[in-house]
Amino acid sequence: MENLNVYAAKMAPQQEFLAGGHRACQGCAELLAVRLVAKTLGHDYIIANATGCLEIVTSSFPHSAWKVPWIHVAFENAAAVASGVEAAVKVLQRKGKYPVDRKITILAQAGDGGTVDIGLQALSGALERGHDMIYICYDNEAYMNTGVQRSSSTPYGATTTTSPSGKVDPLGQHTMKKNIVEIAAAHNVPYVATASPSYPFDLMAKVKKAAETPGPAYIHCFVPCPTGWRMAPNLAVSIGRIAVESKVFPLYEIVDGEYRMTVTHKNHRPVSDYLQPQGRFRHLNEDHIAEIQQQVDKSYERLLKKVKMSSIELD
Amino acid sequence: MIKITINGKVTEVAAGTTILKAAAALNIKIPTLCNHDLLEPYGACRLCLVEIIDGDWSTVTTSCNYPITKEIVVETESTAAVRARRMVLEMLLGRCNTSPELDRLAAAHGLQSSRFELDYDDCILCGQCERVCREVVGANAITFAQRGVDRVVVPPFGEEAEQCIGCGACVYLCPTGAIQIQEDGEQKIIDRWSRVLELKYCKSCGVEVAPVFQCDYFQKKADLPTDFFDLCRDCRVAQR
Repeated sequence: MENLNVYAAKMAPQQEFLAGGHRACQGCAELLAVRLVAKTLGHDYIIANATGCLEIVTSSFPHSAWKVPWIHVAFENAAAVASGVEAAVKVLQRKGKYPVDRKITILAQAGDGGTVDIGLQALSGALERGHDMIYICYDNEAYMNTGVQRSSSTPYGATTTTSPSGKVDPLGQHTMKKNIVEIAAAHNVPYVATASPSYPFDLMAKVKKAAETPGPAYIHCFVPCPTGWRMAPNLAVSIGRIAVESKVFPLYEIVDGEYRMTVTHKNHRPVSDYLQPQGRFRHLNEDHIAEIQQQVDKSYERLLKKVKMSSIELD
Repeated sequence: MIKITINGKVTEVAAGTTILKAAAALNIKIPTLCNHDLLEPYGACRLCLVEIIDGDWSTVTTSCNYPITKEIVVETESTAAVRARRMVLEMLLGRCNTSPELDRLAAAHGLQSSRFELDYDDCILCGQCERVCREVVGANAITFAQRGVDRVVVPPFGEEAEQCIGCGACVYLCPTGAIQIQEDGEQKIIDRWSRVLELKYCKSCGVEVAPVFQCDYFQKKADLPTDFFDLCRDCRVAQR
């Protein structure tokens, strides 16, 4: 699906559910992704939105950019509120107070801080209880709305205001990015996927699939942040594409435990193509880049092994 | 402006508006699988059947291609309309059993399975692929052929679709997923149109750009330099 072009793009849904005029930074890929998600789901859905960039820019009092029911909740409980909404819709439908013939999709959305750090236990609970909802994490790899503090989703070697690179410690972030996709998949949920707004058809197809799947679905969306990543705003979409092409953020889905790559490339870029335009990686020396390349290759290989394992029939 | 009543809700619309659009403006959902805002209405799937009442006369007809010209009353959930729709759904289920959208509609109409034996390949002849190829893309690569029960969408003479540029608009629109696009090594394949397209790779980074034929098509259509598609989007921006 990833190589569809201009004509298919023309045929995408025209109706917008996220109004323009919100206060996102120039070149924000997060809002681009949100807009595509909102389009795909049509108008029968309810959103529980954790605190984060997305909440700040779309709902500054007294305005709202949302044309659908939207609940703002605290950092830690987007998944918990979404599961409550799902249960309430079920009960109201049983009592005949809510239309039965319309499928109401429940969507929980949060940034990486609200998912990987603070909201992890609520997310784990909701996935474990098996609510029929979609959880989307928009991962911009740090706490951007409070001023670029590191989160456990920040990649190795990135500099943030709380993991700065300096004379004594030139590296920046020392730890590896937490693999939240695997954590979600470990709950044995029916649908887990990674997506990127740089591949809009892939993203839309995955959201549609997640909405059609009964039971919980988790989508990890990679959203470049020009402000926090210290790069030019016009590179936001292409850096997302380069991240996929250089194996940094592979796009795949896990349906009932079976891995499948959704976007594959025959030739891959070196990881330096991805690191070079970003100011947060500016301090890295050749050794660091070689180390990152090694890590990326290793985790990609591990993923390919899982994909291969999924296609083998066991008897 | 003409006054019409849909499910008891009264509204005013411009003459010539279709019932489907008027209902959508009132937030009344009429199921449909063959309608798209950018394509000419075609009335192929028959799921948007509604009952039109004009005085003491009434009829069941498709709402997607019914222009409103005078004051009428429309019922989308009347017994006649729902009965007709259920029958249509049952026949569609006999053609296709892989569409979640179709399954959901069938379940909402109290249908678990079809009494008809499944003996067609997933295509429900909605004609969206044929219309998008003709009206939006302008490639005219595929067409309807045969009549009656033999009707199919095929490339001319059932051979390879030589005009197909592999844009994937038909793949994207297909409501049942009958048209699929695959990537196999250095080729992009649309099985249904027996079309095999060689891919072009970026000379700088090696990432695939698009099928060769499509690059030539765009290059000619937009009058671009001949080496324009030698580089992928990202390398082109980087070299500017």
